[in-house]
Amino acid sequence: MSFRERLQSWRYNLVPDHVVGEILTKRWTDNAIPFLALVVTLATFGSIIPGFFKLTALQESTRQLGEFSMVVTGMTVVMLGGGIDLSVGSIFALSCFSAVYVFFILEQSIWLALAASVATGLVFGAINGYLVGYLRLRAFLTTLVTFIFGRALFDILVTTYAADVQLSTATSDVLDFIGDSTFWGLSVSVWLAIILAIVTHIALTRSRPGWHVLAVGGSRRSAHNAGIRVRRTVFMTYVFSGFCASIGGFLIACRLSGAGPGTGLNLEIMALTAAVVGGVSLGGGRGSVIKGLMGAIIVLTMTNGLIRMGYGTGTNQMVLGIMLAVAVTIDIRWLKNRHKVLNEVYVAPVYLKMGKTQSAAPGSGTSYELDNRLSAADHIGLGELEGPEDVILDRDDNLYCGTRHGEIVRFFAPDYVKSEVFAHIGGFPLGLAFDKSGNLISCVGAMGLYSVSPDREVKRLSAETSRSWTSIVDDARLRDPNDCDIAPDGRIYFTDSTKRYDAHDWALDSIENRATGRLLVYDPKDGSTRTLLDGYRYTNGVCMAHDGKSLFFAESWACRVHRYWLEGPKAGTAECVIRDMPGYPDNINRASDGNYWMAWLGMRTPSFDLSLRHPDMRKRMTRRLPQDEWLFPNINTGGVVKFTEKGGIVEAMGDLSGGAHPMVTSMREHKGYLFVGGILNNRIGRYKVAGADPNWTSPASYWGAKS
Amino acid sequence: MILDPVLDLFRGKAVTIPPLDGAFRPNTRLDDAPAFAELTEPDNLLVSGERVLASSGNAIYSLAARTEPKIVETFPSAVTALALSPSGELTVGLESGKLLISGKEVPLPAALSCITALAYADDGTLWLANGSAERAPSQWAADLMRKGASGSLWRRDAAGGGFRKVSGDIAFPYGLYSVGRDVLVSESWRHQLVRFDGATGNRSTVLTHLPGYPARLSPSADGGAWLTLFAPRNRLIEFVLQEKHYRQDMLSQVPPAYWIAPALASSRSFLEPLQCGGIRTMGIHKPWSPSRSYGLVVRLDQDMQPQFSLHSRANGTRHGICSVAERDGILFIASRGGDCVLAVDLASGGF
Repeated sequence: MSFRERLQSWRYNLVPDHVVGEILTKRWTDNAIPFLALVVTLATFGSIIPGFFKLTALQESTRQLGEFSMVVTGMTVVMLGGGIDLSVGSIFALSCFSAVYVFFILEQSIWLALAASVATGLVFGAINGYLVGYLRLRAFLTTLVTFIFGRALFDILVTTYAADVQLSTATSDVLDFIGDSTFWGLSVSVWLAIILAIVTHIALTRSRPGWHVLAVGGSRRSAHNAGIRVRRTVFMTYVFSGFCASIGGFLIACRLSGAGPGTGLNLEIMALTAAVVGGVSLGGGRGSVIKGLMGAIIVLTMTNGLIRMGYGTGTNQMVLGIMLAVAVTIDIRWLKNRHKVLNEVYVAPVYLKMGKTQSAAPGSGTSYELDNRLSAADHIGLGELEGPEDVILDRDDNLYCGTRHGEIVRFFAPDYVKSEVFAHIGGFPLGLAFDKSGNLISCVGAMGLYSVSPDREVKRLSAETSRSWTSIVDDARLRDPNDCDIAPDGRIYFTDSTKRYDAHDWALDSIENRATGRLLVYDPKDGSTRTLLDGYRYTNGVCMAHDGKSLFFAESWACRVHRYWLEGPKAGTAECVIRDMPGYPDNINRASDGNYWMAWLGMRTPSFDLSLRHPDMRKRMTRRLPQDEWLFPNINTGGVVKFTEKGGIVEAMGDLSGGAHPMVTSMREHKGYLFVGGILNNRIGRYKVAGADPNWTSPASYWGAKS
Repeated sequence: MILDPVLDLFRGKAVTIPPLDGAFRPNTRLDDAPAFAELTEPDNLLVSGERVLASSGNAIYSLAARTEPKIVETFPSAVTALALSPSGELTVGLESGKLLISGKEVPLPAALSCITALAYADDGTLWLANGSAERAPSQWAADLMRKGASGSLWRRDAAGGGFRKVSGDIAFPYGLYSVGRDVLVSESWRHQLVRFDGATGNRSTVLTHLPGYPARLSPSADGGAWLTLFAPRNRLIEFVLQEKHYRQDMLSQVPPAYWIAPALASSRSFLEPLQCGGIRTMGIHKPWSPSRSYGLVVRLDQDMQPQFSLHSRANGTRHGICSVAERDGILFIASRGGDCVLAVDLASGGF
């Protein structure tokens, strides 16, 4: 092994590249960027400005933050519903004025002032909501108009009544308390903001109206089709935003005991920036209250920090603008390219040096030598079937197979011309086995382990095992249950080929070659599923030995067959019985002469074997080429191989022309014939095996003669 | 995206190839055409009077409809190029690097050892393409995979005398077509047709971005030309060409027949590389799937621009076409991958 190759094997086998891809599949990675921005902002200003985190300074900042975050919460909800509300600043200002007017000029109680404030917010919110929601005007223009209108109204009112407010003598303890005091260390506005955030968060994530908002924002048309009242939902988001802004306005009225020309100025830009910087998507449907709050803290820290560092309003606006631009770009690019990034990063190949193999080429003279016998097989269901991965026969000689449409099809003996859909399961039924009482047990790709009773009742047996401690993506779920077999005591042993890919992406797993295949056992007595073995390169076929004391299972990408002991001194351990085959093994089944049949789904090629030693090349291949162009193992030629209990190879047969059975994934011997299935084939083959016992059947071999 | 040029440094650019479109729009004409004669790996075709000559292995055969090919002449090594002089002398290039004119060996400069194509100009000037300075014609795949560009163009004046090198550093010249004083060369590894000035040797590209590896050129009746493309461009192969370590290991450890490299025929052994798109699904081999071999003949007009083409697609068998010859409105096509010579009636049209 060259130094470079050794380096490669360390680099790709010891560095867990696959973790990056798995983390990216998590939804919470959307929060990572805003969170990082938050930490950076706080750290930067905290270190530049002395006393930034001092209590007195914080107290004033947090009061401001309380008011601001309420407005942001309202804005977040509108944006989640797919809209935008530019009028929050003027609603905030007008609500503030309403409170001031009622309290200072009309000299009414503070509660009445609050009511006036809230009413102002609700009315303006309702106007927005009516125009945008019911009349379906453009949100941007509509709220821009309400913003200009509201602002103008506020300016007129403030200049008219400013002097009166100054002269007023009205006081209230409640007002002072709200404006100046703290409660358990936090000001009232902060408490209110926290309560509002929690309630909104719960409403959005746990309640029907909240889900409706997210659904409408995600896809208006789909939401409509699903029966959601879209217009009303949109209306309500604006009303809620108006309500939030009005509470903020009331709080600032209490804090400043008045209203000035600067109240709520530029608030809409700040709130919008906060929401977007926090990661609430402008397109609607994606985001959360927490994100909005993170954004609010970032924006407020930034603006206050800049002011304390001596920069003017112009700089502040400029920074806000830049932040908004950056955030919008990241938001759109990330949303659009996230799946691409994931695709590029997810496949993380490892290094493997395959052992030298004997040739299977015709004329090579080895026991693996493939011939053309299978091309002479009769065909069953040609053109009707799609993807019979496994085939099985019952005691009455009827033939069953799964299809890629999620069905189990039954062909009737003796000529196998007539067929019917025996049961519909869904997913992709792969491995099949009959249990003692005649239930058909099937490993269903992408779903789990299922049982179909003789009267066609479909029952799920297992879809999960226990989760391993170091997993990032939940590996309790069965992603690719592949083949099963049943022990004499009724326990079902089955394989889950990979934790990394779903069943239909099995080929990607061969490119990556990471060892994540498992052997599991399902116990029908208590319905539990346990993982017996883990860390194999695509575990595939399972077959109980003739004596029922051990089982064979195939490890496809490593071209090996292992024996797992159920009883005896080696119970619970596995040993490799066949290694370095020239083909990739698939299902294994019993043969009538005491040996075992094994299907080869494809053949090793020198070029692919070499690529396994070049993980960097495979990684670049997955990035630079579309999937159709990727190098694969040669699965256009498969075969059927008979091996002994000790692992010796008896014979091998194939279809070298590839016309009838290019890829063989299963075979089942029954009364002297071999039934051959292929996951990518459109037929089942029936081949007369020379010298096979014409009376031997699999159900009798497993469960004894018919009682 | 605006950041792509920067990101490409880390992740690598997508590998792309020219699409089969326009004049290259796929059809199945080569697979539909009847076989004119069965012959193992027919390479060069030549029309000599009433006879159609084809080279196969180290022999030249004479072909006629509904009869077995008859051996005209055999040679000590494989025939790699054929041409007929204006005065009717049969000119043969051999794998061993020898050149015979009317059976007489012509002394060649030592640098000439890979004769891939021969062509006479109307005035009797003989053009000779030397595919590579290092490898024999049958080693073409190794030359491509080692990124060879050591081919050269030679000429011998009608008056006789020795061969004179016109130009060098050509990436496998594989076809010649004489145009007046100039000559058109198909530069295979660079997927282009280049015109060399007969007097100065100056080059100018005529047709670039071909979707395959161009092989021999031959004249057509109306003053245009026929261009054969012996193998398709394939994104995986172009990718492997950029993968230094993998490629070197492949060249040194994998038998040449199983390389990820263009081929004259494919899917004959399960040890050959397979690409995802080429997987047989539900009994179907997709005709548009990526393939190492393909059959493609292109008609070029008088300005050497492609007009139409004849195809044998990924699921076809008439692959690896290196040479064609036109006579009396019939186009003879030699398919090395399909072991046959086809005859297509041009008069019926429909292109």
